[in-house]
Parts: sequence; structure tokens; C-alpha cells
Amino acid sequence: MRVELVDIHKHYGAVKANDGVSLTVAAGELHGILGENGAGKSTLMKILAGFTARTSGSVRVDGKPVDYRTTAEAAGLGVGMLYQDPLDFPQLPVLDNFILGQAGTIALDRRAFKTRFLELADSFHFRLNPESPASSLTVGERQQVELLRLLALGVQLLILDEPTTGISATQKEVLYAALRRLAAEGKSVLLVSHKLEDVEALCDRVTVLRLGRVAGEMAQPFDTEQLLRMMFGAPPHPPMRCAQPAGDEVLALDRVSSPGGRSGLVDCSVAVRRGEVVGLAGLEGSGQEVFLRVAAGLKPLQAGSVRLSGQSLSENDYHAFNRRGVYFVPSARLEEGLIPELTITEHAALLQERRTLRVPYPAAAEDAGRRIESFRIKGRPRTPVEELSGGNQQRLLLSFLPPDPALLLLENPTRGLDLESVNWVWRHLHSYCRRGTAIVFSSPELDEILMVADRVLVFFNGRIILDAAAAATDVQKLGSAIAGKV
Amino acid sequence: MLKKAFLLLAFLALFSTAFPSGAAAEQPLTFGLLLVGPYNDHGWSQAHYDGGKYVEKKVPGAKMIYIDKVNPADRPGVTIPQLVDDMVEKGARLIIANSDDMKDGTREAARQHPDVYFLHISGDDVLSGKAPSNLSNLMGKMEYTKMMAGFAAALTTRTGKIGYLGPLINEETRRLAASAYLGAKYAWETVLKKKPEDLKFQVTWIGFWFNIPGVTSDPTQVAQNFFNTGYDVVLSGIDTTEALTVAGQKKKEGKNVWGVPYDYIGACQGSPDVCLGVPYFNWGPAYIPFVKAAMSKTWKQEWLWLGPDWKDINNPDTSIVGFVPGAALPAGVKPALDQFVKDLGSGAANLFKGPLNYQDGTVFVKAGETAGDKQIWHMEQLLQGMDGSSSAKK
Amino acid sequence: MASDDPAVHPIIRPPVRDVLLTAVAVLVFTSLLLIVSGAPPLDAYYHLFQGSLGSWVKFAHVVKVWIPLTLCACGLLFTFRIGLWNIGVEGQVMMGSVFTTWALRAGSDSPDMGAVFIAISLAAAALGGAIWAAIAGFLKTKGGVNEIFAGLGLNFVAQGIVLWLIFGPWKQPGVASMSGTETFPAALWLNAPALLRIPPVALVLVAAALAATGLILHTTWIGLDLKAVGRNPGAAFLYGLKPSRLMVLAMLFAGGFAGLAGNLQVTGVYHRLIPAISSNYGYLALLVVMLANYNIWLVAPVALFFACLNVGSIQLPMMLQLDSSLGGVIQGALVLATLGMHGWRQARSTQAEGRAAPGSA
Repeated sequence: MRVELVDIHKHYGAVKANDGVSLTVAAGELHGILGENGAGKSTLMKILAGFTARTSGSVRVDGKPVDYRTTAEAAGLGVGMLYQDPLDFPQLPVLDNFILGQAGTIALDRRAFKTRFLELADSFHFRLNPESPASSLTVGERQQVELLRLLALGVQLLILDEPTTGISATQKEVLYAALRRLAAEGKSVLLVSHKLEDVEALCDRVTVLRLGRVAGEMAQPFDTEQLLRMMFGAPPHPPMRCAQPAGDEVLALDRVSSPGGRSGLVDCSVAVRRGEVVGLAGLEGSGQEVFLRVAAGLKPLQAGSVRLSGQSLSENDYHAFNRRGVYFVPSARLEEGLIPELTITEHAALLQERRTLRVPYPAAAEDAGRRIESFRIKGRPRTPVEELSGGNQQRLLLSFLPPDPALLLLENPTRGLDLESVNWVWRHLHSYCRRGTAIVFSSPELDEILMVADRVLVFFNGRIILDAAAAATDVQKLGSAIAGKV
Repeated sequence: MLKKAFLLLAFLALFSTAFPSGAAAEQPLTFGLLLVGPYNDHGWSQAHYDGGKYVEKKVPGAKMIYIDKVNPADRPGVTIPQLVDDMVEKGARLIIANSDDMKDGTREAARQHPDVYFLHISGDDVLSGKAPSNLSNLMGKMEYTKMMAGFAAALTTRTGKIGYLGPLINEETRRLAASAYLGAKYAWETVLKKKPEDLKFQVTWIGFWFNIPGVTSDPTQVAQNFFNTGYDVVLSGIDTTEALTVAGQKKKEGKNVWGVPYDYIGACQGSPDVCLGVPYFNWGPAYIPFVKAAMSKTWKQEWLWLGPDWKDINNPDTSIVGFVPGAALPAGVKPALDQFVKDLGSGAANLFKGPLNYQDGTVFVKAGETAGDKQIWHMEQLLQGMDGSSSAKK
Repeated sequence: MASDDPAVHPIIRPPVRDVLLTAVAVLVFTSLLLIVSGAPPLDAYYHLFQGSLGSWVKFAHVVKVWIPLTLCACGLLFTFRIGLWNIGVEGQVMMGSVFTTWALRAGSDSPDMGAVFIAISLAAAALGGAIWAAIAGFLKTKGGVNEIFAGLGLNFVAQGIVLWLIFGPWKQPGVASMSGTETFPAALWLNAPALLRIPPVALVLVAAALAATGLILHTTWIGLDLKAVGRNPGAAFLYGLKPSRLMVLAMLFAGGFAGLAGNLQVTGVYHRLIPAISSNYGYLALLVVMLANYNIWLVAPVALFFACLNVGSIQLPMMLQLDSSLGGVIQGALVLATLGMHGWRQARSTQAEGRAAPGSA
């Protein structure tokens, strides 16, 4: 199926999310849409998927103009979109999620669907149990289910919006293989991403969007420098390692076990020193999340003990940990770290000392203004945090950190950020490490860990399977450790 | 033009003064009726509603406004003073409150509206001296007709077990239950010549004048319980007709049972095939003097407890209480009942004559004496021979 | 207060058009209902109006309903603020009445000390309501029992206690009736001047409650903390707040205000304890707060409107032989229509989510 977008405009009031975008996706093509956050990628894809109405412009399929207004109509034409967060029903089994929305579900033949599901899954080497509840799946597995569902619906043009966010390296490989096979079968694939390496690894052709317009197009082989220039105007500087000489012990875990996630944390002993930057790698749910929360005093221990600067602390008391300079920044910003419907000022107020009965809102607003300015947040003191973009939410969270914490525990601190923002975040965090703060962070991006961390801990099934200096290891070694082979 | 109008006015003035008759003293009157239950409950409230209609028909210039279901369960947040205020605004000069439950609210409203007359049915604020002068009390001597009901029940029962479905416990309900028992006992001993200890008379109280789900006992269940445990006649003391309805159902199931409703002359209609008759109130004729006194502003505070018109207890224009035999009353019982009514009227049968003992054995009426009105009104317990509690559960 | 307060989140002020649309929808719905039941709608509305605002005396009755309704609504603002559905407010009103009756019974032998005992009863009522609310609060925070279920259960228990007291320990001498306890001597009533007809104490109380609620919620740490926990307990915890403690605190406020409403029902309205002492004002207040969109400034007028419907609807059976529950139907339809409108607007704004962050991928 050949799809053409011609001069697409989408205006939200004065904001032009798409400002005359034209592009063509040939049948059997793996086409990438590249651009930093806010470039207009998602808007364009939502228009194509029938989720949002365009302001002007036209869509042609195989040369014929088509007009549709809903996702259902788009699906009828063979256009399907795989969202960042697949919209499924977590409490239902995988198979039911697969069946939902498919034609002929009135006379439901579960067995036939199951056979079809297993066939499809098998052909793509997806390992999925059709009867386990969707809530037990990782993001990557849920994505696989959704992909199968769209294929069973007869999708001819598949749109994927940031499909590699939150999935493991292995799942990424499986996904890529599946997408390549679909293209070989003549289906078109549109891959939306802000990650250069994703697009470079997979796509035949790339369209770069910048500020709502097409900044350029390129076919294999790609020139990375040029792509970066198209995305940002000028290529940003990559962050450097902090490389402080390690100081005294800040955090020590002694034979700690704690439940949670898929595997929990098992018999974990490790020490982190002042000025050290430690990256946590591993498949999602292998113990990094539990590690960070145990170190923050957010989880009860089954066994073992936690010491802060040599002092044993009673478990599961974040406020006590907090008083000793431990700060935890969760991965899900709006879900765990920020308080929706509260303004930046109100967040700033919560951090103020409580000397009076009344909240000193004027002072808090001033404080908020200072944070906004020094962290270059696109927002105002009165802006409710949910109206900030992901990158700005992350900046805001970082702005809440005090000037000299003893230990920062960061879960996936650059999730969903574009390259420029990632670099900014790390430049900022490294300024902490230079002042002697120990930083422990998790990330699914091995490249990122190798670039910014002094030390890497690889988790497998709840245990630390590898503890190495970042300079002394590489992506291959880490990759096999993640898979359980040291 | 002006001249013509003046002439017309003069003519009208002359015309109106030309008829200074008695009618002028009696101004048209709107009276407000507060009903505790639904106006069509086939019981206590409907009897009052019909009484009001009767007044409208018989007294020229009398107009009724009413509001029913006046109780906190049906109308949460609504108070008697509030309703009275509204009725007074609508022009009511006389307020009739039909429930014992409205006692305090009526008194409060009467104090707020000294220029409006109040008639509280079944109350005794006048007797106890708590009433302001614009408040009177009225009640009918239902005791007599309750005796007739008890009498008919005792002559009909096959098992010798009579159930009495009581509302809440207070002086009024105690004396009515006791009267029914006295009528039954009289029939049992005098007519049937049976031993008094073979007659079982059980009173079960539900806690209010009618069913309030979740608050009172369910009268339907209480009635069913009676019939399921060998009681074959159930007398109702509550405002609504559950006893008769359940009796009708049991009859359909093949049980030989009877019921006696209460309050409303048409109450048997629901299940005539099990109805032994109904002791009822006929408020219309009793209201009229109060309505007329309000019209002519010759109001005098009164506490009235009126007996039936013994010449014809079912005379709609004279008798405040009556008893109509029901279709299910066995043919043989009717003559005995007629004789009993005659004896009650003549005084030949005086059931409040001593010796009568309370439930706990203390003396209510000494041998040879007859209880006076106030003694009966303030009855403290049920009588010896009756089963059931005399006051609240301990 | 709100204008110079930068932290007060711009409350969702529905555009005038939406408000009008909601009102028209409800009007059409109730009119249809009236036509179906064979009554002229205009007459019904006229009587509702006349019956509530037709005279000072009627308005005084409206205010007497408005006061407990507003007190309950003030309390509910605290619990809604922290995301708790305090359905138990009804039981908290009842316990306020029970504690009031308990205090007044102690005073019924010393009529010259009436004012003292009324003051004691007010404190006791707030305490009673707060205790009852705290139970639900602790069940929620310590036992993990959803506050809706705990509240409903406690409502039943409170009703049971009221019935038991009326029929048992506090029965009228020689009487066993569900009608209520013995009426208190007039010295223990909240005095209402003949002209005003509303107890001034009650007016002062409700004004103080409104002011205190507004100040606490919008200017103090408690207000900010409740809001933070309500929107995201997990994140609020990371900011150093203690969600469990704050939930119990919110419940204490709600219970205290509800208890005061229960007190006024005894001291100002019924002058005794009756089974239906709460008059469903707790449940009604939940609707008031929802319709007012959890906004303190709208609570008082919305409560007044509900009180008008409550008082005015008695005219329907009196003048038109209609069931008075129409007032309740209008109240319910209004809340549903408003919530529906709110949901629709939200769906619409989600559709246009790109407005806030175009292409926020």
C-alpha cells in the first residue's frame, strides 16, 4: 500500500503542530519519522491513524484521495497504529486483548482465535502465553500482543510511535526482525522515533521533522551528522563522564533481599561511594527497581540491612532516609514524582520550610520562578505540572533536588527525552557528582550507561551478576550479562 | 362616571348590610389537615381525610387543604411548624393534626400562631395543662368498638388464640389492646362459657403506627408469624391493613383464618372473605363543632373524648366510632354481637368494672368499682391474661 | 482571597454556555416527567418557587435546611480534597445528634443552665461526628477498607444505635415508640427570635464553618497537603507528607462539621432524637459538593438551591397532588447532567490534548 500525505496542516489555536507536511510511504517500505520532542511527529501520526482531524491537507492511498475521521475508518483502509502505551485491558487475559475489536466477535470462537494467535506469535518468535493476564506482561510483550492484534485486523500500513521506549534490547531485536519481515511481505511501516540509532538500524528511508515542518529526507545509507543537523539545526555535544575520585562510602547494602517486580531483589551486597555515578542495567523487572526503592527506604526488607554513611537505618522509612540526604526520583514522572493538578508554585511550596500556619505562596511563587529560570523549564509558576511536556517535567523534578544531597537515586532519568534534553540532564547531574553526591540510576540504554556512568551493575533475576567499571566493559559484555551470561 | 361608581358602591354596601344574619358571624374558613400516613391508606389517615371531606360537604364555606405522609421517614427534614406556617400562609385558620407523633410539633406551632386554632387528635396536652389556649384535643372512644372486635374474634376463633398487631406502646395503644382483650374475654366466658385460661391473647408491637422499613418491625412478618403459630384471628391496631392482607393470603393458601382491620370504614374491602368486621372512626361529625367554633370565633379549649351514638353506632352523621360486621363474620355470631352492642349501650355489659388487674398483678380497678375516663385514658399496663409487653423492652 | 493567591488552581469554571445547556437539559427532562405525570410544569415550578422563596417565613425554613446542608458540605470539601468519598457523612450527622442528645439529657434537670448545656452539646456533637469519621479513616488507612464501604457500614451502625437508644435506654417513660425520645424542655432549644425564626447561633456557626473551610483549604498547609495527597498520595509521600495521617485529619474535619449539623437537627429543629434525625442531609450534601464542583464559593449557593427544592417540593403534593420526590429528581438530574457535561468536556479536551504540548511524544 502506498500512502501519500500532502501538505498536512494541524493548528491548535495559534500553535502549528504540523505546518505543511508532505511525505510518501511506498509499499514494503520501512519509513522513519525522526524529530526531537515537540517536532510534530505524534500529531502527524495521529492524523494518519484517524485519531485527530487535520486542519487542512489531503491523504492519498494508492493514488486515490481518501477521507476518514475515526480510527475505525482508518483501520478499514488498512491503517493501524501501535501506541506508546498500548491501550489494552490489563485485567483480561492476553488472548482476550487479542480478540477485542476484531470482526465477528459476536459469535466468539475462542479456540479458533487461540490457534490463530499462537500461529501468528510463533511466526514472529514472540513468546506469549495467551492465558496469562495482560497486567503480568512487560511493556515489550504488551506491544507484541498489540502488534499481533493489528496484523490480525489486516493492517497494511503499520504506524509505531516510539516503539523502543521501555523495552529490552532482546525485545527490540525481535521487534525489528518482525518489522523487517512485514516489509518484505509488502506491508508499509512508519516508525516514529526521536532516537537516531533506532531509525538508522531499521529504516530504508527517513523523514526528519522539525518545528512542524519537514526538515529533510534521506535514504540508506544515512549520514548521522547530517541527520542531527536536520533535527537540531546543529549537533549537540555529548555528555562526558564525571570521573570524580571515589570518596567515603555513602550507601551500603548487606545481603539484602526484598520482594517486588518480577524477580524481587535477592541477596544483594554492594557499596556506593561519594562522587560515584553508578548505572544499573538489566532487563525490565530484574531487580533494579527494587534496588533503587530499597536504597531509598521505600520498601521493606526480607533480609539484610541498609547502611547510610556507615549508620544502619530502619527499613522502609523514606522520610528518615530523606533527612539524611537521600533523594529518589521515580521513572514515571506524572504518576510517581509529580502531583497532577498542582501548579509549579504549589510544588515549590511543598518543599518550603513550615514556619507559619499559612502557606507562604508569594515566596513559593518566587522560588518557582527561580527554578523555572535556572532549569530552563517551559512553563510558568501557575502552570499545572501535567501541562508540561515530558522533558520539562523531568527538568522540574531535577530542579526540586536540594543543592547538596548525599545520594541521588534516579529511575530511568532520561526516559522519553530527546538527545538534547538527555545531554542537558546529564550535564546537570554531573555537576552534583562533582560536588561529591553519589548517583545511582537505571536505564535501558546501554550506550547511555557506558557514556555517563563510572560503574555499571548488571541485574539478572534479582541478583547483581556483573559489577564493573564502565571503562573496562563494553556493550557486548553488558548485553550478555543482561541475558544471564557472564 | 364617578357618580355611577359611587352609586354602585352605595348599593353594594346597602345590599351587604341588608343581610346581617347569623351567616355573617360564621366567616368562610380554610382548615388544614396534617395526615401522618397516605391519605388513601385504608386506615387511620384515610378516615381523617374522609372526615375533612365530610366537613367540606356539610359546612358551607369550609374548605380543606391537606398534606399527607407527614412523618420524618417519608418526608425527611419536614417539620410540623414548617407545614403549619405554610398552611397558615395559604389561609388556614384551623389546623387539625391527626397523629400522636405530632404532639410536640403541634404544640410548638400553636405557640407560634396564637391567632390560629389547633385540634390535635388523640393527644392530651389539654388534660396535662401543656396546651396553649388555642389548642384542643379530640378522640373517639374506640374502646367500645375494639371490645366488639375482640368479642367477634373470640366467638370465631377455632384455636382459642387471638393475635393483636400493635403499633407502638403508649397509653392509647395499651387501652385499645386491653379493650379488645376485654371484649374477647367477655365472649369467651359469658357467651361460650369456656375457661378464661384457655383463651390466649397475644399483643406484638411493631414500634410505630405503620411500617417504616428498617426502623419498625415489619407488620407483614408479624402477622404471618401469628398465623404460622396457630393464631387464627389477628386484630390490627396499626394504621395500615397488613393484618387483613396477610389473612387473605393465608386463606388462599387454604388456612382457615380471619382478620380485623382498624380505623377506616372501608378497610374490609381489601379481603372481605376474611374480614370479621372493622372498628372505625367517623371523624366528620366530630370535626364540625370545632370548625364552626373557629368560624364564629367562639373557640373554647376542650379535651373531648366522644363515645358512639348508641342509638345507631354506624350513623354517619352522629357517631364518632362504629363497627361494621364483615362478610366473613360467621352467621351464628351476628346475633350475639348485636346483643353485645345493645348491652354495651345500655350499660348491661360494663367491661371496665372491677376487679381488673394489671399484667404484673397489681390492681387496676378494685372489685365493685368501675374505671373512670381518666383512669382508662392513663392505663399503665396491659391487663392480666394478656401476653405481650406493657412498655418498652427492658 | 482567591485572586491574590497564585496557588489556587484555576477552578474549572464551566463556560456559561455549558451551564445553560445543563440547566435546559434538566428543565426539559423534569418538564417531560411532569407532563407524563399529568401536571402542568409551569404550575409546578411556580409552586416550587413560591414554596421556598414566597415569603420570609418560607425562606427561614429554607435557611434552616441550608445550614446543616452547608455544614456537611464544608466537611465533605476536606475529604473530597484528599480524594476520599466520605459516604459515612450521614452516620456522622447521626452520631452528632446522638452525642447532642446525650449531653442535653444531662442538662434536662437544670433548665437555668440551658446555654451551658447547649454549648457542651455542640462540642460533644463535633466530637461524636469526628469519632465516627475517624473510625472510617482508620479502617481505610490501617485496615485497607475502602472508605465507601466503611462509611456505608458505619451509617447502618449509627442508624442502629439511634433506633436502639430511642427504643431502649432513652425511651419516653411508659412508652415504646419509634417516634423519638422525649422532647427537651424549651430551655435546651436553640432560641430563634420570633421575627428571624432562625437560631442566630446556627447562622454564626455556618458562617464560621464556611470561612474556616475556605481559609484552611486555600491558605494553610493543611489545604495544600490534603490537595497534594488527594492528587497523588505516592508522590506526596516523596515530598515528605504522611498520607495516612492527613486522611484521618480530613475525616476528622468532615465528621466534626457533620456532627455540628447533627447537633442543630436536635437543638434547633426537632428538639429530640428521632430515627430520621439526619434527614438525609449527609447524602444530599454529597450531591451539593459534586454539583458545586468541589468549590467552596459554589457550595453555599448550590446548597441554598437544594434547600429551596427540599422545602418547596412539599407544595407539589399539597397543591398539585404530585409526589414531592420531584424535588429529589431535579437534584439528582442536575448532578448527573453536570457530571455528564463535565465528562463530555473532559473527553473533548483529551481529544485536543495536543494543544498543551503539540506532538508530545
